[in-house]
Amino acid sequence: MENRRMAVNGEQKLSPRNQKIPLADSNVQNMATLLTPRFKSAAAMAGWDEETLLLASLIVEDTPDRDSKHKRRSLLNSKSPSTNSSRKRRARRTSQKPIPVILDLNAEETPVKDSGRKKKEERVCVDNEGSKVGGGDGDESKEKTRSAPSSSSALPFIDKLRDELSCAICLEICFEPSTTPCGHSFCRKCLRSAADKCGKKCPKCRQLISNGRSCSVNTVLWNTIQLLFPQEIEARKAAGSLNGRQQAQNLSPETAFYANLRSTSIQPSGGASSRNMNSRRSVAITSTQEDEDAALARRLQREIDEQSPGTSRSRPRMRTRRGVSTSQHEDAALALRLQREEFIQTFRGGSQEQTIRLPSSTFARANLRAMASRAVNLRTNDRRR
Amino acid sequence: MKISGGGGRSSWSSSTSSWVPTTSVSASGKRIQREMVELNNDPPPDCSAGPKGDNLYHWIATIIGTPGTPYQGGIFFLDIKFPSDYPFKPPQVVFKTRIYHCNVDPDGLVSMGILKDDWSPALTIAKVLLAVRSIFTNPDHYNTVVPGIAHLYSGDRAKHDGIAAEWTVRFAK
Repeated sequence: MENRRMAVNGEQKLSPRNQKIPLADSNVQNMATLLTPRFKSAAAMAGWDEETLLLASLIVEDTPDRDSKHKRRSLLNSKSPSTNSSRKRRARRTSQKPIPVILDLNAEETPVKDSGRKKKEERVCVDNEGSKVGGGDGDESKEKTRSAPSSSSALPFIDKLRDELSCAICLEICFEPSTTPCGHSFCRKCLRSAADKCGKKCPKCRQLISNGRSCSVNTVLWNTIQLLFPQEIEARKAAGSLNGRQQAQNLSPETAFYANLRSTSIQPSGGASSRNMNSRRSVAITSTQEDEDAALARRLQREIDEQSPGTSRSRPRMRTRRGVSTSQHEDAALALRLQREEFIQTFRGGSQEQTIRLPSSTFARANLRAMASRAVNLRTNDRRR
Repeated sequence: MKISGGGGRSSWSSSTSSWVPTTSVSASGKRIQREMVELNNDPPPDCSAGPKGDNLYHWIATIIGTPGTPYQGGIFFLDIKFPSDYPFKPPQVVFKTRIYHCNVDPDGLVSMGILKDDWSPALTIAKVLLAVRSIFTNPDHYNTVVPGIAHLYSGDRAKHDGIAAEWTVRFAK
């Protein structure tokens, strides 16, 4: 405590413009980096007391772990009834990365300038934290007891939010929400299927949607949902990708990504044009699945295109890549895929002789052989796992 | 109507990891399950609904005749069949209990705007049941399927109500 006081006194002698001069006291030095000149000017515009600010920032800096900081924040939020702040609180609680304080201060910088409400909030925060200096350790226990009821009172509120943020079509939390011109939000996929199957009308109010096909994600809403319901979104993401993979495993010919690949590799022709067409088709199929899958497929296609001279042998690599990415999830699926690979490898003997005849293929062959051996290594590693 | 998306007993009871659905069935199944949960938690007034057996796509529902209408006091059973691409296609609602109503054909099939062209994927079974309940008081004049009853309703309301009440007593009690 004494040390802190001294630091504050030392700091007070400096004018705000001299912040960047190196100082002996390490605390003060930290201060200089903590409070940017822009923040200082914003604070001056807001008419804040310099000392309070410094004290507050010292305390923030001294805060040992994130948890106690949260308690302080929740204490603050329990005082203010606005929905905004409790949303923020939850968002902070759910985010995994520790938020650096310097970012926190800077983030508040712009709103401080124009919105009076924010200004007040910030000031309350500062005052609140400033008052802790006198309070000492006795306050900590009080905070714990006071913050407990506020977290329990958030539960019905969250239920309401869940209702509000769920998609009327699938009745789940909006996944990648897209907002219609009339202001209603649905999952992007749901809205797209609704526009396809039920006409270009808003499912909620039946207003005409002109851009039913090119619905874009409402980023703010989507980020908010991700912050509010991280578990649900993660579960749905996982389910979506799993579903996509299972679908690929399914042997129905229209949807099966792998079946498509297999059919191409069985055909010994392996011509560049037919291969391109097939891979393009497979990309089209995967684009209806998870976005990640589609991106992966596109990346793989690019890889294939780069290695265009080796017609049939770039495919095993692609498959192995996919295999690696999915092996963590489904060992059974991997086994199936490996079986398929072996099947294809037996076919490769035939196509190899074809490629030897091509003059440009000699370079590519060595290259691809190395690649194939790498793929085999990866595969054996996976099998051991 | 043939139910293609039923899924059967084994597929619904087995774990999701071993069961491989096509997208549409799983999406509609999920949605129907969700609706079931919501109906149980917060049922609409005078209505109840749930799967008939182990087939999620075939429900049975009851509506109690609204007081103040000729259908007062009757318990009407309905069959609800979900298409495999529900909620993008409307469910089929059939009265199993005979009812004298201009929107219900002799086979019991309910004819309403929202069950045909005016269907919206944002509608749920709870809303459909409320709509069916509302035609007890206000028939859907744009979708009448029994012209005789509709004509009587607009021409001689008292006679219409008398017959409807009589049918309610005979079939729905």
